Amino acid sequence: MNGQRHATMVAAATLALTLTPLLGVFEGLGWTFPVLLTITMIAVTGALVRAAGRGQGLQTLAMAAALMVVLTAGFGGGTGFLFIIPMPGTFEHWAQLAGSGVADIVVNAPPVAPEGGILFLTVVGVGIVAILHDMFVVGLRTPALAGLTLLTMYLVPVSVAPEATAWFWFILPAVAYLWILADDNLRRVSAFGHRFTGAGQLVGQGFPSPMARTARWSAVAFIAATLTILTVVPVNTSGLVDRVSGGFGGDGEAYGLGDVNPWAQLSGSLNRPEAVDVLRVTTTDPNPRYLRMHVLDELNNDGFVPNDYDGEAEFDQFARPGIQQEYTAEIENLNSRAPVVPVYGTPTGLDIDGDWLIDADTGVIVGDTMADVGSYTQTYIDPAPDTAELARAPGMDPGDSRWEANTEHPDVPELTEIVQDTTRGASTVHEKVLAVLDHLSVANGFRYSLETSEADSGEAVLDFLTNKSGFCQQYAATMAWMLREADVPARVVIGMSQGRRDGESWILTSHDYHAWVEVYYEGPGWVTYDPTPSGGVPGSVSFPWAAEPADTADDPTAAPDATADPTADPSAGDPSAGDPSEFPNGEAPDGSTGSAADGGSGAGSRFNPAWLALLLVLAVPFVPALWRGGIRRSRLDPQRLSAQSAWSEAADLATDYGVSLSDSLTPRQAGGVLAQAAPGAREAATALGSAMAQHRYAPREAPTAGLADAVTDLRSELDRLAQRRQRLRARFWPASLAAKLAARRSEGDAAMSRRSAQAAEKVRAVVRRRGRSNSRKGGSVTGRP
Amino acid sequence: MTFESSPVQQPQAPAPLSPQEFKATAEAILTNVEWVIEGKSHTIKLALSVMLAEGHLLLEDVPGVGKTQLAKALARSVDCSVRRIQFTPDLLPSDVTGVSIFDPEKRDFVFKPGAIFGNLILGDEINRASPKTQSALLECMEERQVTVDGNTYKLRSPFMVIATQNPVEMEGTYPLPEAQRDRFTARLAIGYPDLKAELELLDRREEYNPLDALRPVADGEMIVRMIAAARAVHLAPELKRYVVDLVTATRTNAQVRLGASPRATLQLLRCTQVLAAMDGRDFALPDDVQQLAVPVLAHRLIPTTETTMGGGDTKAIVSDILRHVPVVSHPGRF
Repeated sequence: MNGQRHATMVAAATLALTLTPLLGVFEGLGWTFPVLLTITMIAVTGALVRAAGRGQGLQTLAMAAALMVVLTAGFGGGTGFLFIIPMPGTFEHWAQLAGSGVADIVVNAPPVAPEGGILFLTVVGVGIVAILHDMFVVGLRTPALAGLTLLTMYLVPVSVAPEATAWFWFILPAVAYLWILADDNLRRVSAFGHRFTGAGQLVGQGFPSPMARTARWSAVAFIAATLTILTVVPVNTSGLVDRVSGGFGGDGEAYGLGDVNPWAQLSGSLNRPEAVDVLRVTTTDPNPRYLRMHVLDELNNDGFVPNDYDGEAEFDQFARPGIQQEYTAEIENLNSRAPVVPVYGTPTGLDIDGDWLIDADTGVIVGDTMADVGSYTQTYIDPAPDTAELARAPGMDPGDSRWEANTEHPDVPELTEIVQDTTRGASTVHEKVLAVLDHLSVANGFRYSLETSEADSGEAVLDFLTNKSGFCQQYAATMAWMLREADVPARVVIGMSQGRRDGESWILTSHDYHAWVEVYYEGPGWVTYDPTPSGGVPGSVSFPWAAEPADTADDPTAAPDATADPTADPSAGDPSAGDPSEFPNGEAPDGSTGSAADGGSGAGSRFNPAWLALLLVLAVPFVPALWRGGIRRSRLDPQRLSAQSAWSEAADLATDYGVSLSDSLTPRQAGGVLAQAAPGAREAATALGSAMAQHRYAPREAPTAGLADAVTDLRSELDRLAQRRQRLRARFWPASLAAKLAARRSEGDAAMSRRSAQAAEKVRAVVRRRGRSNSRKGGSVTGRP
Repeated sequence: MTFESSPVQQPQAPAPLSPQEFKATAEAILTNVEWVIEGKSHTIKLALSVMLAEGHLLLEDVPGVGKTQLAKALARSVDCSVRRIQFTPDLLPSDVTGVSIFDPEKRDFVFKPGAIFGNLILGDEINRASPKTQSALLECMEERQVTVDGNTYKLRSPFMVIATQNPVEMEGTYPLPEAQRDRFTARLAIGYPDLKAELELLDRREEYNPLDALRPVADGEMIVRMIAAARAVHLAPELKRYVVDLVTATRTNAQVRLGASPRATLQLLRCTQVLAAMDGRDFALPDDVQQLAVPVLAHRLIPTTETTMGGGDTKAIVSDILRHVPVVSHPGRF
């Protein structure tokens, strides 16, 4: 018992050690209390039930119950009976928590605040792992399997926060695993009373073995070797981020801004199944355009990467409102943790908490985190250059200090060719912009899709131009790049689209993250264009100056007033409801594209993983019953039924229902014992015994007719006569299954001891040989025998 | 080792018996004997199985429980020659085997067969004879032939010795050495009849001795055929393994100084075959083995002094072994 208590403690402690990588995922240490409490509760419950001499099944059940209690108390939201017993309402509450937790995981980049759904999911996960871990280490004493649970625990933070793969996070879990193995072995060896040492002495219990030092050094060497491999072999830590940003965005490096790659956050948000509300905006602007967040104005071989925002200006250096209309927006932060402040148009004033600065080049407001901002107020003007003005405006002077940074681009000859074709005949900046927009239009075969496929050109931008399928990230980056090819300064902006109308205000969700382009005109300055087909973007806004002047009359979207109505109230949550009238030729994007679009919440994606987890937890108690049933079915399968299989089943039934059948009983005698235990199934039991006797000892095969029925009869009779407890036990934790596991285990032990005996014999043989040669050598050197 | 290939003389090839015929005949003999010995059907069955396994039987019990009656009844039920030898201290080996006597007319020695030349030999109170005479009998039992003055005479077939021994009245006796008991296939005790059987016994013997009214139900030839039929009973490898496991257990048992011999293994299997055939089966079961283990094995074991002093007896040891040896060994396990 004492050994078991010790093992329980080791199991809990090792699990806690393995949690250390979570330090990189959560902000602060607030998460440690509920997680450690859960582990402790489960360990204590397991130990108590064990101390009461109950079997593994009950232990697992009790530990699951303990987890439920912790969850109800901590996350029940007061719905539980007496706050600790889960009620139906509690489960609903949990489902909501789990849903928001999943959403948080997708939207937020680590470190995240340890609260709400994420913490709930963490505690559930840790709880389940703790139960399994306790079962492996203490109950079933298969410490090797505990490596799996530790690995699960380690993988979670590592996959969420790639930086957690830093080598030092590996040490504690590895130490934990070795601890478990060493402890179990020590327990096993100590069971013999004395431990053997390399020098052939015996060491009493409680004394350190001289071999322990060697073992410790081996462990250190093992961990060191593993870490060396980890650091030498290049590991792709970017994972998900790299896959979705597909070469247009960065390569998953950290940007020094809360470690967020805007491209990754953009595609991650758009790809997540359910939207999370991010901002609520109340503005005097009847048709607000896009909220700017990041500006990506550096184009290198990795694509567009964010400006490093080092040309900081004072916080109050806003543009002064001129003759243009000034709007005021009150923005409530629902879920943003961005390192930049989302702002509309050209800000003229900003009332916000925190230590913020404006980047002079890009107008991005940086310096703090939105996580601490509850709401803020912004005044802004909405620069709306008219088409004629743009048509006249010259481009940036190549001598401008900003020219270099805003036109540089990698050399891709094929792209240069395409751009030359596209902009042939365009002389002004505006004409070039319109030509590029035209090239990327739906009319030219481009369509919206979150699924980006690669062609074989090797350049992501060329792949996109070939496949003509992508989402805002591709459209914005390609347009900006093409313009740079045409010597027009252009940059990518990431922010949020208009969102949906909610009464007086606008709700911007994680599906409203968007990317677009700004082009520089001498005079009007940076002018916004959105090349993405509007059908794919729920809150997309049209920019009247993007239309060709000649088309203005025909295009209903050309007039700002006309635009306001269809886009001001796109039906909530229905991404395919983008107004088809926005397509100049009336062609709507194909349906599948629309529904898989930025909305992304197709009907099939309403699946909530929390339910699956809950289902798995609930299914755990039924696993032995299902397993036993499977064994029974396969034995009584008419195709494979034999006297032997029927008899095996009868014998296992006897074990399940506590009827003891000694090895020294003949099949007939055993049948007799069964008949006594189940008088109602006397004939069945006798028939089974006789059939088995004949099967084993007669020169011909025993007939199998009626054996399956006999087993069924026997089972129902045993079940009928059994005590309630016995019956439940036979169904949910059948003793025959436990016996099988024990037998397998003892076979494994026997094999292991056989192997170790062989190994020891080999070592001894080597030692003997060496001993002989040494003595010969010694004799010759010293001259003594 | 294969048991079938052991060098045992084959009887003349008789027509094979079906299991049903075997069973019927055996039951007829049993019913006949039970008419004389009431309430001891199991003992009688074992005795008959020893006969059909070509073995010899040692009946060891207190006086007056029917040892001689059983032997006589068994002999009378089978129509064959029955000879009875009353062992006394002055009995000479030649009384058993026979002797060559000078015939003055032929002017030559003529062999005069002893009591051993019969089908069924009843050796009463074998422990009263001198060891010399005892060993003469035991030699005949094993060899199934007698050699006198350089001439070898074959004994009859079927040939069975039923010896009785009184374990209580030991004064002036020469108890069979344990090693010699190995020659007997089985040792049976009859025991006192229960109340019902004893009352019935009184009723039945009011007017006449039922032994006198006994009529044979089988002849010697039939017995030979039954012996042959029993040898054809199938012995599954698992069963052979079980028997060997049992015998091995007697050799490794801590309470036993000398375990059972391979001859014991052989004879146990043969009796097992007979018992199976008497049940109408053509295959033997471990249940048959378990019925026979105590009678066939117990008298061959020599317990350690500690066991004897502690009041243990070999029957209990064999019963204990039966309780502990698994019927199916698990070859893959260790």
